[in-house]
Amino acid sequence: MSQATATERPVLTAPAAAAPGRLRLTLHQIRYEQLSFWRNPQSVFFTFALPVMIIVIFGAVFSGNQPDSFFYGLSGMQYFTPTVAALSVFGACYGQLAVSLSIRRQNGILKRLHATPLPAWTYFAGLLAHALVVSAVEVLLITLVGYCYGVPLPAQWGTAIASLVLGAASFCALGVGVSSLISNSEAASAVVQFIQFPLMFISGNYFPIHSAVLDDVADALPMRPLNQALLGAFTGHGDVPWRQLAVLLAWGVLGALVAVRRFRWDNRR
Amino acid sequence: MNHVLVQDLHKSYRDKEAVRGVSFHVEAGEIFALLGPNGAGKTTTLEILEGFRDRDGGRVEVLGRDPGDRAHSAWLRRHVGLVLQDIAVEPYLTVRETIARNAGYYPAPRSVDEVVELTGLTEKSRTRVKDLSGGQKRRLDLALGVIGNPRLLFLDEPTTGFDPNARHGAWDVVRSLRDAGTSILLTTHYMDEAQALADRVAVIADGRIVATGTPATIGGRDHALKRIRFTLPDGCSPADLPVPVSVEDDGAVTASVAEPTLALHRLTGWALDRGLLLDGLTVEQPSLEDVYLGLTADHQPAPVLEPSPLSAAGHRSTP
Repeated sequence: MSQATATERPVLTAPAAAAPGRLRLTLHQIRYEQLSFWRNPQSVFFTFALPVMIIVIFGAVFSGNQPDSFFYGLSGMQYFTPTVAALSVFGACYGQLAVSLSIRRQNGILKRLHATPLPAWTYFAGLLAHALVVSAVEVLLITLVGYCYGVPLPAQWGTAIASLVLGAASFCALGVGVSSLISNSEAASAVVQFIQFPLMFISGNYFPIHSAVLDDVADALPMRPLNQALLGAFTGHGDVPWRQLAVLLAWGVLGALVAVRRFRWDNRR
Repeated sequence: MNHVLVQDLHKSYRDKEAVRGVSFHVEAGEIFALLGPNGAGKTTTLEILEGFRDRDGGRVEVLGRDPGDRAHSAWLRRHVGLVLQDIAVEPYLTVRETIARNAGYYPAPRSVDEVVELTGLTEKSRTRVKDLSGGQKRRLDLALGVIGNPRLLFLDEPTTGFDPNARHGAWDVVRSLRDAGTSILLTTHYMDEAQALADRVAVIADGRIVATGTPATIGGRDHALKRIRFTLPDGCSPADLPVPVSVEDDGAVTASVAEPTLALHRLTGWALDRGLLLDGLTVEQPSLEDVYLGLTADHQPAPVLEPSPLSAAGHRSTP
């Protein structure tokens, strides 16, 4: 190989070619995350379709129910439309990120990605925005199903959107945080379910809880505050749920701290 | 200009000194092969150059910058491509989408179509990654390594698991990258790969470089004795022959000589005079593999240091 050919290429003095714009690069990432997500039958079924199916089935179950008789003056669907929406956000953000990041770390995709010039924060911005898009589609669909079964649209749109965005961001941070603590991707799904199932259960996502002790416990955990905030926003009862939003924020900060301290691109040692 | 410079590199893991004083350099525009048995320190050295591992000591420069210094990592990621041993690609994107996605990460990428064609994936460009064969996935990996138009490419055992046709195809790709000005550092177990591709090779054994040179001259290969080999004609004994020979297990005889012309002339003249034929007559130059085996033989870990599972079990059962 002749030296001349090689030295024609400026090596050390290369001008910093315009790096791809950050916003454009984030949109580029969102696009490919969306393609991967919607083509994967497992994520489409478990993450996306399952909550929508649940609300459709609940709608059929509670359609003969007397109004105001299910939960403190709410009908079954008035109770479940916001809580299943909250559940779907939890799955799309926490569940999806915890599992997919663990799998990508295990099979070396993260290591390879980290060797490209894609900035780490752009990768995460794309992933979080993708999870928000999936959540938004789910919440809209679930709200629409509820509406078809006679549930009024949220009375306080601002509170509903603020709670959903903050909740989604917190759940994403928790998902990244939990994925940082999972060293083996085969355990990822089990660990995620092990946290998700009891949390949904005591937070009243499967059925209303009538236990003050359980409610106190669940109020300090990340799920029930979003349920309560959304119930309030849908029915228009109560003020801005500052306490619930503060708990969500605190969990989000905790998840982010764990993620920043413990996140690895590579699961070696 | 050196694209890679390694001087007196050291790296230890908890109980093992994996790299002990490795030095070599890769010149701009050449293909340099690092050969060595498993556990010799090839991958550790490569991972230090790729910025995945920190070194304990020594000097390392990649395109003139220190890969252990995080201030350079963003710059190096733009100008260095790598293909690792493990296949790591998203299953649900198509070949073309995967390459186009990574192209978006670089300031001045190669054309996606050109890279698809270069790696022989044109017919598979609309196939989802999960439906590719192992060899096709490796080629996609190679495509991702070169899409950023790197000045330097690291290839860690690039053709392990390829069938012979795919290997020759991959070699053509690597050569065409070199001819387009990319410097390449590759590791391999395959001597024919080093012979076919490398401008220069280094043999690493037990954490040290034991020889460096071109594939034709490494380890004194060009000066080594040539072997003339044939089957002894019926009714002759080795003592009858005009040159000294040794007898092999299979009944063939071998003469080891520095310069085969004269020895061959004597042997064939001797045979023709007697109306005999030298069956299976060959002249062999020591292969790169022979040289490699000679160079690495002294450095194989003693059995005591690395007990087989069987003997380890034996130790455990003995109080």
